Amino acid sequence: MNPEHGQEEHEEHRRADFASKKGEIVLRKHEYDGIQEYDQKLPNWWLVTFFGAVIFYLIYWFAYYQAGLIETDQDAVTNAIAEIQKEKAEALEKTLANLNDKVLVNEWATDGAIVAEGEKIYSQVCIGCHGPELDAPTKLGLSLVDHEWKYGDRPMEIFKLINEGSPAESKGMPPTGAKMIPWGATYSGKQVAQMVAFIISKNPEDFAKFKD
Amino acid sequence: MTITYDDKTPRQFMIASIIWGLVGMLVGVIAALQLSDWRMNGAFLEAITFGAFNADGVSWLTFGRLRPLHTNAVIFAFVGNMAFSGIYYSTQRLCKCRTASDKLSQIHFWGWQAIILGAAITLPLGLTQSKEYAELIWPLDIAVALIWVVFAINFFWTLAKRNEPSLYVALWFYIATIITVAMLYIVNNLQIPTSLTHSYPIFGGLQDALVQWWYGHNAVAFFLTTPILGIMYYFLPKAANRPVYSYRLSIIHFWALVFIYIWAGPHHLLNTALPRWLQTLGMLFSLMLWAPSWGGMLNGLLTLRGGWAKLRTDPVIKFFAAGVTFYGMATFEGPLLSIRAVNELSHYTDWGIGHVHSGALGWNGLMAAGMFYWLAPRMWKTELWSKSLANLHFWIALVGILLYVAAMWTAGITQGLMLGQLNEQGTGLKYEFVDTLLAIRWPYYFRSFGGTLYLIGFALCAFNIWKTAKSGSPVNGTAEVTPLEREKKDFLGLKAIFVHKSVQHIFCVILFTILWIFAPRGGDYAALALVIVFAVLAYRAFRKDVKSWADFHDSLLENYIPLTVLAFIAVAIGGAVQIIPTLMVDRAKNIEGRLQEAYTPLELAGRDIYVAEGCYNCHSQMIRTLVPDVMRYGRSGHDDDYSHLGESIYDFPFQWGSKRTGPDLAREGGPLVDKENPHLRTGKRDNLWHFNHFLDPRQTSPGSNMPPYPWFFENKTDFKSLPKRIAVQQTLGVPYPAMTRDEIEQSAREQAMAIADTLKESAYLPDQPDLSGDELRNYLAERQIIAVIAYMQKLGAYTEQELDKNKPDTFDPDQQRQFRKEAKEDETAQR
Repeated sequence: MNPEHGQEEHEEHRRADFASKKGEIVLRKHEYDGIQEYDQKLPNWWLVTFFGAVIFYLIYWFAYYQAGLIETDQDAVTNAIAEIQKEKAEALEKTLANLNDKVLVNEWATDGAIVAEGEKIYSQVCIGCHGPELDAPTKLGLSLVDHEWKYGDRPMEIFKLINEGSPAESKGMPPTGAKMIPWGATYSGKQVAQMVAFIISKNPEDFAKFKD
Repeated sequence: MTITYDDKTPRQFMIASIIWGLVGMLVGVIAALQLSDWRMNGAFLEAITFGAFNADGVSWLTFGRLRPLHTNAVIFAFVGNMAFSGIYYSTQRLCKCRTASDKLSQIHFWGWQAIILGAAITLPLGLTQSKEYAELIWPLDIAVALIWVVFAINFFWTLAKRNEPSLYVALWFYIATIITVAMLYIVNNLQIPTSLTHSYPIFGGLQDALVQWWYGHNAVAFFLTTPILGIMYYFLPKAANRPVYSYRLSIIHFWALVFIYIWAGPHHLLNTALPRWLQTLGMLFSLMLWAPSWGGMLNGLLTLRGGWAKLRTDPVIKFFAAGVTFYGMATFEGPLLSIRAVNELSHYTDWGIGHVHSGALGWNGLMAAGMFYWLAPRMWKTELWSKSLANLHFWIALVGILLYVAAMWTAGITQGLMLGQLNEQGTGLKYEFVDTLLAIRWPYYFRSFGGTLYLIGFALCAFNIWKTAKSGSPVNGTAEVTPLEREKKDFLGLKAIFVHKSVQHIFCVILFTILWIFAPRGGDYAALALVIVFAVLAYRAFRKDVKSWADFHDSLLENYIPLTVLAFIAVAIGGAVQIIPTLMVDRAKNIEGRLQEAYTPLELAGRDIYVAEGCYNCHSQMIRTLVPDVMRYGRSGHDDDYSHLGESIYDFPFQWGSKRTGPDLAREGGPLVDKENPHLRTGKRDNLWHFNHFLDPRQTSPGSNMPPYPWFFENKTDFKSLPKRIAVQQTLGVPYPAMTRDEIEQSAREQAMAIADTLKESAYLPDQPDLSGDELRNYLAERQIIAVIAYMQKLGAYTEQELDKNKPDTFDPDQQRQFRKEAKEDETAQR
C-alpha cells in the first residue's frame, strides 16, 4: 500500500459534517491530504472536567474576592509564625524555670550525654567562627578557651548570649563588625543549654566557683 | 497539474534537529552529573587529561552557564528544528502547494542554525540576560525576531497560495504558534543595551517576573506544545491510517487551549511577592487548562483506536502513542502543581524538573523520534534501516524517562518535606539546607543514569536515520492538484468575524469576567450577573442554532486571515489583562511598606557578575509567604519577614529564581557596619566567609555541591562599563544620585578598597601565596570577588515606607478586597 495515498475508506460510517446524536459517529465529507476526520460527540467525563473547572473558577474567585472567606497569605503566615513564637517563648520559660548557674555547672556539664549533644551542635554550626579547638583561629568569632568572657562569665549569661546573639550595643568583631546571630531562633532552650554545658566542660577552672 | 514539494528544507531541519538534539542532551547529562558531584564543573578535566589541565573549576563549564545552554539547545535547537521540519513538510501537503519561497526557507534554515551557534558560544561565556529560556543577548534576540518574521512570511504566503480551500486543524496550531511566539518573544525581550553584549530589561522586579513567566510558561505552550500538536494531527493519522477521532473536539480544545494557556503564567510565581490576584488567576486558569490539554491527548489516542494492532509492529505508532500519553501525564501534573497548596511543597524543588522532563523527554522527544522514523524513509525513498533498532531506542528511552521522572519526584518531595519539617518541639526547623541536599544524592545519581539512557537511545535514532538516508537518495514529493479558483477561498472580510453571534456572545462572557476581576465595589456584582446572563444566552443561542455556529467555523477555516486575527485576539487577552494593570500600578506607592535601596556602583557590578554566572539557576531571592520559608530565611524577631514586592522593585532583571539547589539569598545581606560609612555592610555571614566560600564552598559548607569560582580571584571587575550601566538604570527609574563618570568609578574603587581592607589580614589566596597586607588588599580590590561580596552583603536592603492608604489603585483587585472588608467591618461596628 502506498503510504501517501493509501487511506482506506471507512465506509461503515455515514458521511456528514457533524454528528447530531450521542453515540453517533459520522465521517466528515472533506479530506485533507488523505486525512479523514470523524465527528463524535464529546465524552461526558471530559465535559464535566472542563465545565467543572470553569465553575470552580467562579466559586473560588467569589469566595476570595467577594465573600472574603479565605485569609490573605500575609495574614496567614504572620499569624502562624506568631503562634510558633508564642509556643517557643513558653517552652523557653519552662526550660529557664529549672535552670540556673549551679544547675548548669553541676548537673548539665557533668552529664556526658548532654555535653555530647552540645558538642554535636557546636561542630555543626559554631565551629565555623569559633574553630574546632574553640580558639577561633580565623578571628571570625571570639576564642572560647582564653578565660575571657567578654559578655559575662556566669553560665546563665553565656546562655543568654547564645540564645539572643551579640548584644545590640556590641560593636562586633573588627574589622567588619560581624556579630553572632541569635541561635535561639534556630535552637530550643534545651539545646542552647546543651551548648553551654559543652562550653563549661571545656573550661572547668573558669566555672569552678559554681561547683557545689 | 503536477507540483513538486520542497522536501529539502524539512530534510535539513530534521538533520539539524538530530545533531543539536545530541548536543543538547549531552549537555543535559553533564549538567545533571554536576549536581551529583561538584568536580564535574571542571576539576574532572584534571583526571581525564592526566593532570595536563589543572583547575578546581572552569568558568565556561559551570552548571550556572551550562544549564541555560542545555535548556536553549533542547527547546530552540532540538524541538525548534524538529517542529520546523514537520511544519514545512505538512503545510505544503495540507495546502496542496509548494512552500511559497525557497529562498525564504533557506534564509530561515541557515539563520536559525547561525543563531543556535551564537547561543552555543555566548552562553558558556557568561553572556546572558538571565531570563529563563530568554537568556540570549540582545543582538541574538533581534536575529531571532527577524528569522521568525521570515518564517511567518513564508508560512502565511504559502497559505495564501494554497490549492485547498479549507485549513486542517494542524494548520490552526501552526498559526497560533507563529503569532504567539512572536508576541511573547518581543515583549519579554524589550531591553536597553549598555554594550554590544549586555543590556537591562525594561521591566524590573515583579513586573519583570510577571512578564518573564508569561513568556516562560507560554514558550512551553506555544513552542513545545502547539506546533507538536499540529504535527500530531498530521503525522499520527497518517501513520495509523485512521481518521481523526473527533472534529468538534479539535475545535473546542484548540480554542480553549490557546485562550486559556496564556493566563496560566503566574503559576510559576505562586506564594511569592506577586500580587495575590495574579496568583489566583494563574492557579484557576491552570485548572481550566487540564481538560483542553486532555482534548489533544484524546484526539491523539482515540485516533489510534481500532489501529492498536500496529502498535506491536510499527515503531512510529509506539513512539506516538507513548508521546501522547506522556503529554496527557504532564498536562495533568501541571494543573496539580498549580494548586497553591501543592505548589508550597513542589516549587523550587526537583519536582518541577521532573515535570518538565516528562514533557520534554516524553512528549517532545518521543514525538520527534516517531516523526523522524516516519519521515526518513519517505524523504530518502527507502525503508527504515532497522526497525529493531528503533524498537530498542523506544524501550531504552522509555526506561530512561521513567527513571528520570521517578528520581525527580523522589528528590523533589523528599527535599520539599524536609525543608518544611519542624523539630520535635515544633519551635524551629529540623534540617539545615545542606542536609536536604545530602538526602537526595541517590535520586540525583538515578536521574543522571536515566538521562544517559535517554541520550544513548537518541544516539541509536541518529545512527538509524543516518543509515536510512545512506541507503536511499533524497527525493521531493509530488502531487496532482487542481488549482483552486480565487473565490473559493479567503472571501470573508475581517468584519465577518465580529458579526456572528457565537463570537459576540463568547466575547461578552469574557469581557464581563474581566470586568468582574477589576470592578470596584457594587460594579463587581453587576459584572458577575452579566457573566451569567451572557453565558446562559450563549448556551441557548448555541442549542437553538448549532448549524449556524458550525457553518461559521467551517467558513472561518476557508479564510486564513480572519482565522489568524481571531486566534491572535484569543491569545492576546490573557497577557493584556495581567500585564497592563501591573505596569500601571504606581510602583512607588504600592510596595507594601518596603522600598529597596539602590545598589552602589560596585554592588551593581557584583550583581551583574552574579547574573552572568547564572547563580539564579540554583539560588532564589524570594522568601515565600509560607511558614518554613519565613522561618528558614527570615530574620528572627520579624514575623512578617517574607519578601515584599518593594524589596526587589529596582532589580533589572529580577532574580527570584525558579529552583533551589542552594538556599535562598533574599536576606543574605545586612545593615551598614557604621551608618556614616556606606561601603561596609555586615550580612548573615562575614566577608571572609564569602571569600572562603567562593574559593572552596566545601570549606565553609561541608556537603555543598556548589562549584568553586577561582576566576573571581583572577578576573578584574569591569569598572569602566559602570557609568553606561548606571545611566541605563537611571533611564529605567532607579533613583541614582547624579554622578559623573569619574565619580561612579571612584565610588566603586573606594568601596572595593574598603572591603578588601577587611580581608587583608585574614584572607589567604592559594594562587598568590606571597601577597599579604596592603599588597593583598590592592590586588583583591581590583578583582571580581570583592564586587560579588559587595553584592552579597547588600542583598535584602530596604527602607521602610509610609503607605498612602487613601488612594486605592483601580487595577488592584487585592486592594479592592481590602476596602470591601474594611467597609464591612465598619458596618458591623456601627450596628
